[in-house]
This record gives sequence, C-alpha cells and structure tokens, in this order.
Amino acid sequence: MTPDASLSALPTRAGLSAWVPFLVILPILGGLELLTRGSPFLVYISLMVGVNVILAVSLNIVNGMTGQFSLGHAGFMAVGAYAAAKFSMAMDPWKIIGVAVAPSDQIIFLFSLLIGGAAAGLCGFLVGLPSLRLRGDYLAVVTLGFGEIIRVVAQNSDALGRALGLSGIPQRTTIFTVGFFVFLVILVAKRLADSPHGRSLVAIREDEVAASAMGINTTAYKVRAFVIASFFAGVAGGLFSHFQSVINPMTFNWVRSMEIVVMVVAGGLGSTTGSVVAAVSLTLLPEGLRTLFNSLNLNAGRIDQVRMPIYGLLLVVLMLVRPQGLFGTREAWDMWRKRKPTPAATEEGA
Amino acid sequence: MSTPLLEAENVGICFGGLQALKGFNLSVKKGDLQGLIGPNGAGKTTAFNIITGVYSPTEGQVRVGGQEVTGRATWEINRMGLARTFQNIRLFKSLTALDNVKVACLNEEQPLFSRERAAAARAQGRRLTAHTMDAFANYADWWRALMRTRGFQADELRLTERAESLLEVMGLSHRRDELADSLPYGEQRRLEVARALGTSPKVLLLDEPAAGMNTREKADLMSLIRNIRDRFELGILLIEHDMKLVMGICEQITVLDHGQTIATGTPSAVRQAPEVIKAYLGSGELALDPVDAPQEAPRPEGAA
Repeated sequence: MTPDASLSALPTRAGLSAWVPFLVILPILGGLELLTRGSPFLVYISLMVGVNVILAVSLNIVNGMTGQFSLGHAGFMAVGAYAAAKFSMAMDPWKIIGVAVAPSDQIIFLFSLLIGGAAAGLCGFLVGLPSLRLRGDYLAVVTLGFGEIIRVVAQNSDALGRALGLSGIPQRTTIFTVGFFVFLVILVAKRLADSPHGRSLVAIREDEVAASAMGINTTAYKVRAFVIASFFAGVAGGLFSHFQSVINPMTFNWVRSMEIVVMVVAGGLGSTTGSVVAAVSLTLLPEGLRTLFNSLNLNAGRIDQVRMPIYGLLLVVLMLVRPQGLFGTREAWDMWRKRKPTPAATEEGA
Repeated sequence: MSTPLLEAENVGICFGGLQALKGFNLSVKKGDLQGLIGPNGAGKTTAFNIITGVYSPTEGQVRVGGQEVTGRATWEINRMGLARTFQNIRLFKSLTALDNVKVACLNEEQPLFSRERAAAARAQGRRLTAHTMDAFANYADWWRALMRTRGFQADELRLTERAESLLEVMGLSHRRDELADSLPYGEQRRLEVARALGTSPKVLLLDEPAAGMNTREKADLMSLIRNIRDRFELGILLIEHDMKLVMGICEQITVLDHGQTIATGTPSAVRQAPEVIKAYLGSGELALDPVDAPQEAPRPEGAA
C-alpha cells in the first residue's frame, strides 16, 4: 500500500515533474558542449554514439517493447536525413531577422530536424498501416523491402543526387542538439513504458490474441509505436546528415538497419537501458579496437582485417553467454526501485 | 432483463470441407449461467472463437447487446461488452499480476474523447466516428503519459485501485507484484478471469476455467463463478469438461457433438437426453459389448 500513498501525493506537483528533467539536462548538455570544444575527434565520436543511441532506443520501442521485428530502421533514417538536408540546404541563404547568425542557423536546423522526423513518421505510418497486420518474419521482410525501396529511390532521383548523394549539407549538429534528442528519446521511451499505452504494447508482445481479446486495437497500437520510432529515426538521420555533411544512399543500406537491430538485441529486447548501453559500446568498440591494434603496432591494412571479425566474435560470445541480451527486459531504473522490497517480495522470502 | 446480452442465431462455420459448427443457437441474458459441453472436438472452442470474432462464421449471426458482431475485430467486440478467458492460458507472462489486470482496465480512462462515447458511437454503427474518437483518445493518452499530467496520474491511481479490487475478488491480492508466469496454475486461471473482468464485460466467456485444478480448487471456483455473476451482474457462458462442475452451477446447458447441437436445457434434462448419453458413452450396441458394458453403463447414473 505504500507505493499508492506516495502516488496519491504526486498529482499536485505533476505539472512541474514533467519539466524537471529538461531543466536538469539542458545545463549539463551546455557544459558538455563547452568542454568538448577543442577536440574534434571526441566530438565526432560522441555524435556517432548519440545518433546510434537515438536509433537503438527508438527501434527498441518497436522491436523490444511491442515485439514486432522491423528491419527497416535505416530506411526511416534515410528519409529523415534527406528531408532534413534538403530543407536546410534550401534554407541556408536565409536567416531569421533580428537574431544572430549562429542561433538563427540552429533554429532553422531544429525545424529541419522536425521536418525530417515528421517525414519519417509519415512514412512509418504509411508503411505500418498495411504491414503491421503481418507478424514476425513477414513484417521483417516487408520492412527490409521498404528500407531498400527508399535507398533505390534516392539512388535514382536527381533531386536527391543519385548515387553520389547530397554534399555540402551545412554542419550544424552539436553535442547539445544530439544530447537533447538522446535525452528526449529516452524520456519518451521510459514514460511510454510506464503508461497504459506502454503496458498495452508489452501485452501485444506477450500475446497478441489475448491483447486483442482484452479490447486492445492491436494494429493501431503497433502503428503508433512504429510512427514514434520512425520519427526518432528521422531525427537521427537529420542529425547524422548535418555533421557528416555528405550523405549517399549506401550509407542507409540494410547493413545499417542490421547494425541497429544488433544493438537492440545485444542490449536486451525491451530494455531502453540495454539499448543505450549496447549502442554506446558497440559504436565505441570498433574505435576502441582500432586504438588497441594501433598501440600493438599492426600495420594499418591488417587492423581492419582483424577488427571486424573480433567485433563479430564478441557478439557471438555475448549471445551465447546472455541470449536475452545485456539487460534482458529490465531497466536501470527498475533495479533502483527493486532496492525497496515490496510486501510481496518479503512474503516470498519468508 | 428481457433483451439477451449475447445471441447466436443459426451460426455455422466450415474449415475447408469440415463443418466444424452448424446451426448453433444460444441466448445469454443478464444473470444467466450457462454451460457449453461436448466431447473433444465437438466445436465448443470454435463457437467461442466465432463469438469473440477470432473466426468469421460462414452462416448465421452473432449479436452482442443486440448489435451484430459478424466481421468486427476481436477488440471491438470486447469493447461492446464481451470478455473471455482462454483454454490454454494466455496471460501477459512478463507483466506482474497487477499489470495484467491494468492492461485490461483500459475502459476506465477518461481521456479527451472518452472511450464510453466511442463505444456508444460504435454501438450505433458509426464506426468511422468511433475510430476517430479512439485515435484522438489514444494520441491524447500519449501526450498525457509523456507529460505526466495530473489527469494521467489520477488515472493511474484509479486503474491501480480497480485492478487491486479485482485481484482481491479473485483472491490474488498476495500475488499483486509477482510475474504472471510465476503463479501456480490455478491462480493463473483466476488471474485470467480477473483480467477479463477488467474490461467491464456484460458477458463473460470462460473456456475450461477448471482445467488442471484439483477438487478443492474446483469447489472454490464454483462458488467464485456464482459470486462473480451476482456481484458484477454478468451473463456467464462456460465451457467445461468436468461434469460435476457444469451440472453443479449451470442453469442451462447446450451440448455439442461433431458441430451439431444435440441437446439443450436444464442440467437434469440434458443428463437424461439419449443423444447426450450416446455422445458421451457410445451407442447402445457398443455398450452391450460384454467387456465394456459392466464398467461403462452404470456411470451416467453414478455421475448423476
């Protein structure tokens, strides 16, 4: 009964608690931004990590929480990347009157990210509506196909630069913006998981027939999960294109999709914490191995030959040792909560 | 009391060349406790699946609260007031007992566009309006969940309270925070009933609620089922193999065999119907077999 007592006290400050995380995270991100000013490599790696975290956490909403196997996340990322890039390039000569150049650019950049996200979200809706009636392998094939369609369309469209892709995209992505969206996607995933909506998604993962018999419109729920995941994939694409400055269709092929799926699976399907940890470590691992082999004085050509097999081997070992992924379906914040024993838990122990 | 909550009229279904159910009639009113029995493969679960929208009948009609349900999705039929449990338990295994019930308590939320109004629109056949209302309600829910609004927190509290009260009714309060998967078999069955009750049904379908229970658990279950019916003012239809349980609590019984309704009526009438005895014990000629006859023949009287 104690959790209820504490809950009943909450509604009075509910409005504030929605904003507290933002107030905490924004100065931290600003500090990080300033601290990393002088080290471009660190910034580059952090941006890559951040983009991958956004991709993994958002894909986890579909693949982990809802239990639908999507293999087309890079496709949605591509939609966002191209849409955001086209928008920024078109807007580049324009500045907002009365605002200094840098903030003006950042505001336009934010808009282009939202446009990228919205475009990807719309694609998610259009792809999801017919295909989310399918289950398991069938859905995987459809989403894989979608990803390839996007890539082929980009490869054959003059407006998107064909196989060469787009270049000269303004470099606007900062630690701050990436950090903000990493924070946002984690917050959305966590709060979603703790809501009736999230419970319904998990119910669909556990047993679709039963969920539907309990009044859950399973297709609609799956589509909404898909739209949210696609939106964040689009934002990640926008962030990616605005620090790479060059994008081409091959960046978003199915191998990219697989990388994200691997992160989600390695972290534990259904665990946001796991997705974050896996995305960070799997992004840093190849770089870490490069540094390691460099210090062993292997010649440059050899490094790549050894690096990727070791990366693969580590994944195989991980799956053998922990098939449920690093975190299973658990979350860091659950483990924190579990510290306080519930009445049922103590009963069981006695 | 007058209009039946659940009506099946001349329902039939063919799977390829197999007529799994034919000319099935049923009428469940508020406060009814009906049984659906029959040998294995008689079409009992098929009947349940047609009623709940898992299969579409190839002939006949099913009505819930006077509304035709043929062609509607399972979840829509549930919102119209029909909930069920499953023969092979289908709980949300990785969720706690409490969360299992909370998932079903969707109707309790009161978002911008209330689900009651959506359900009303659906009942009037305005499906597009109902879908739109549901969509808005769900997007409003997203927003409320992400922003942790006061309304959201109040809803969570109410959901929790309601789910807790249902767990208490089913005697599962002590399992509140345990994973559904880790509960003993009998309790999993009871949790399924609690979950079905969470959807605020008018009619409850129980598919072999006593399967795998011991004698004492069965006795408890019988009084529990009666209790539920009176407390929630439901109509209950149950499939059961245990004759003692069915005969003990059902006021009206329908007997199926090979997809055909072979008898219907009160337990005592059904028990004496020659077709039922034949379906359960074989025909008279077989019963005359010198080896089988002494053990088999007295049983219907003994069981009765």
